[in-house]
Parts: sequence; structure tokens; C-alpha cells
Amino acid sequence: MDRNEFLTQMQDILQTDEELSFDMNLDDLEEWDSLSKMATVAFLDSNFGVKTTFSDFESIKTIEDIAKKAGI
Amino acid sequence: MKSRFNNVKIKGIVTVLPQNRIDIDDEIGYFDNNQKKLDRAKKMVGFGSRYVVSENMTVVDMAQEAAEILIEELKEDKNTIDTLILVTQSPDYLYPASSCILHGRLGLGENCAAFDVGLGCSGYVYGLWLAHSLVSSGASKKVLLLAGDDASTHSCRENRISNPLFGDAASATLIEHTDEENTAYFVMGTRGSGWDKIVAPATGRRLPVREDISGLEITDNSGNKWHLYDEILKGIDVFNFTMEVAPQNMLEALEYSGKSIDDIDYFSIHQANKQIVDTIIAKSGIPKEKTTSEVFSKYGNNSTNSVATVVCDKLKDKTSNYIMLEAFGVGLSWGNAIVNISELNNLGIRFMKDKNLPSREDMIENWIKHFKGE
Repeated sequence: MDRNEFLTQMQDILQTDEELSFDMNLDDLEEWDSLSKMATVAFLDSNFGVKTTFSDFESIKTIEDIAKKAGI
Repeated sequence: MKSRFNNVKIKGIVTVLPQNRIDIDDEIGYFDNNQKKLDRAKKMVGFGSRYVVSENMTVVDMAQEAAEILIEELKEDKNTIDTLILVTQSPDYLYPASSCILHGRLGLGENCAAFDVGLGCSGYVYGLWLAHSLVSSGASKKVLLLAGDDASTHSCRENRISNPLFGDAASATLIEHTDEENTAYFVMGTRGSGWDKIVAPATGRRLPVREDISGLEITDNSGNKWHLYDEILKGIDVFNFTMEVAPQNMLEALEYSGKSIDDIDYFSIHQANKQIVDTIIAKSGIPKEKTTSEVFSKYGNNSTNSVATVVCDKLKDKTSNYIMLEAFGVGLSWGNAIVNISELNNLGIRFMKDKNLPSREDMIENWIKHFKGE
């Protein structure tokens, strides 16, 4: 998965109309709630075999942070 | 642990649901009356409809109805049932075992063992495993396996994190001897260190409900109301546990049985929620047409009965040979069964009418009389 595709997948996870970028602050998005956090956990596990814990979300501030966890 | 049993067949099954239906579209209040939020939740988690017990109705009432339907429609002689197992984590009392209450209500013969198994999501597979072991060894000739839960009552209706996930259901299954070899395969496991990932704290003897708890209401950061007797479910931890254990458990069971995915006609996976089931399906590589995550959207997470609900909903009027049941959750506990259901009388899903059950006030008054010796 390249970075463009990754961003498209995040668009689907967040189901937001806003245009996403890697450096935008997730906390500014209304859709960054428990639903999309669970979807992020599932997305990282299914596609990258990466486990996310509850405390990981304290340090995830941007989509770039999620991409780093995925290793892309 | 792995075990296999010969000369056992599953003769019949029925699932009973309460008739009280709740539709997620009527619960938009859970989503701050925001249609967009509701639509996201429907798409991501799979929320749809679910059926919940009415006031004063319990698992015992649903299990009784399921047992009566099964016994009547299979024309079973009650006196030939020599074991009754009830799998539930929601018994009527800590004691006596609710299986004994059901034994009495059903009018079974006294030459019958009856006991409870206290498991949730993994429970149906454990019940099936026990029944197979008893019949295969010759200890029992005919087992009536009852299973169910009323998880919609394990949190208050205003709790948006827990409550909308759960629907209530109970089933009755009859297991007996067959001269056919009909091998059944089971692979079970437990991770007791994770006991507090899904727990209802003040529901047993460790922390009994007293005055300091009975009126205690806790409000979390999102405005959800909690009581110490409600269920706590640590979503991300449980998700990670599930993804580590469930696909692996399915693979191990296939290996142990010497069967391939092609040999299995259907995969009934515990309907925790649509997202969890879809992720398991993707990870385990089973074909989508041989399994479902949609039963969650129809009935909610049925806890103990979930895998049986899938069998009753999806496989009624279909001919199947070997199917797989994969169940996991509270405990933490998991189990997989690969069983041949070619001789199964699948009576499907039935809805239960509200019964005239004693009210809370009636019960309290009645017990006061007992204590007074009246």
C-alpha cells in the first residue's frame, strides 16, 4: 500500500468529507471518535499485522503518526 | 486442548428470541441525534436490529420455551433425557443452579443429571463439547443442551458503549448416540489472565451489591452512565485478543480434523460485531459465501447463543455436512467445533410471546413471606 492509497483508506475509516492530509491534527476532526479509532485498530491489524493498544492513541496526533505505526 | 468424539449426533436445534424488537434507527439518541454519526456506526459496526427480553423475563424463560418447542416437535420422550446442561452467565440465582429450575419446569424425569456451565460468548461450543464427551463415553444417552444470555440487561439502556451491541436469545439442542462414526472435533482454550477485560464486577460473591453500591452511578467522559453491576468491555484489548486467537483457533481445528476449508460447508463465527467478524473472515481466508457477519445486524451480539443463532438463521432448510463453530470472548475463553449436521432437525428461529411473569414487587413480597415462615 502506497501513501496515497493509505490516505484514501483513512478517508474511508473516518468517513469524513474533509480533505485529509498527513499532517492535519486528528483531534480537529469531529469523526475522530471511538468508532474510527476501533476502525483504525482493525485496519492496522488486517493490512499491516500491527497491534494497537488503548494507550497508543495518546501519542497518535496526526495521520502521519498512524502511517508510522503501519511502517509506510 | 484438542479432543475428538465418535458415535454422537446433533439431532435437533431451535433458537428462541424475545419478540421485543429494537431498531437502531429508533436509537439515534445514542448518537447525539446526529444522522451522520448513526450512519457511520451502522456501516462500521453493523448496527441494525436486535431483540431484547421484556421486564422480568430471563434466560430461564427463553430456554424453557426453546426446550418445550424442541421436545414437542421432535416428539421426544422426556424421560429419555438423562442429562440437562444449561450454559449461561446470567442465571436466575447464584444457587440453586438454573438447570435444576429448568429441569423442574420441563417436568423431566429424576433419572437425570442437571448442571450449569458459567460461560458467555464461547459457551455454546463448551456445551456442545461436554455433551459430545458424555454421549461418546456412554455416560449419557441423550443430552438436552440449553444455552443463552440476556446481555441487553448487563448495562443500562442509556449506555451507548455497551447496550446497542447486545440482543438476547436462548437455544435448545438435542445430542444423542448414533451408530455412525460421525467424528466431531473440538479445540478449546483459555487465557485467565485476561479475566478483567470483560467483567460485571458487582454480580457475585466477591463484591456483593449493598447500600454503598446500589445507588452508585458513575458518569464517564462521554456522558455514559455506569453501575458497578454493569458489564465493562475493554474494546481494543478484546479486539486484539480476538485477532490473535480466533483465526489461529480456526486453523488449528482444521489441521486437527484433517479437513480443508473446502470440506467445511459453513463457518458460524461468534457475532461479536460486524467489524470484528469481517476482520476474522479476511484474516482466516474463508470464502465469504460460506459465512456471515450479517446476523449481528439482524439480532445483535447474542453472547452465549451467538453461534447457535447463526446456525438457526442461516442453515435452516439447507443441507450441510461438516460445519465449523468458532466462539470467543469473556473469560477470556475460546472454542472451536467441527461437527457433522447432516442429520440435524433445524427448527430455526422462533419468537417468544411475552409471558405473564411475576413482577418485581410480587417476587419481593413472596420472598418476605418465605423468610417470615408464612
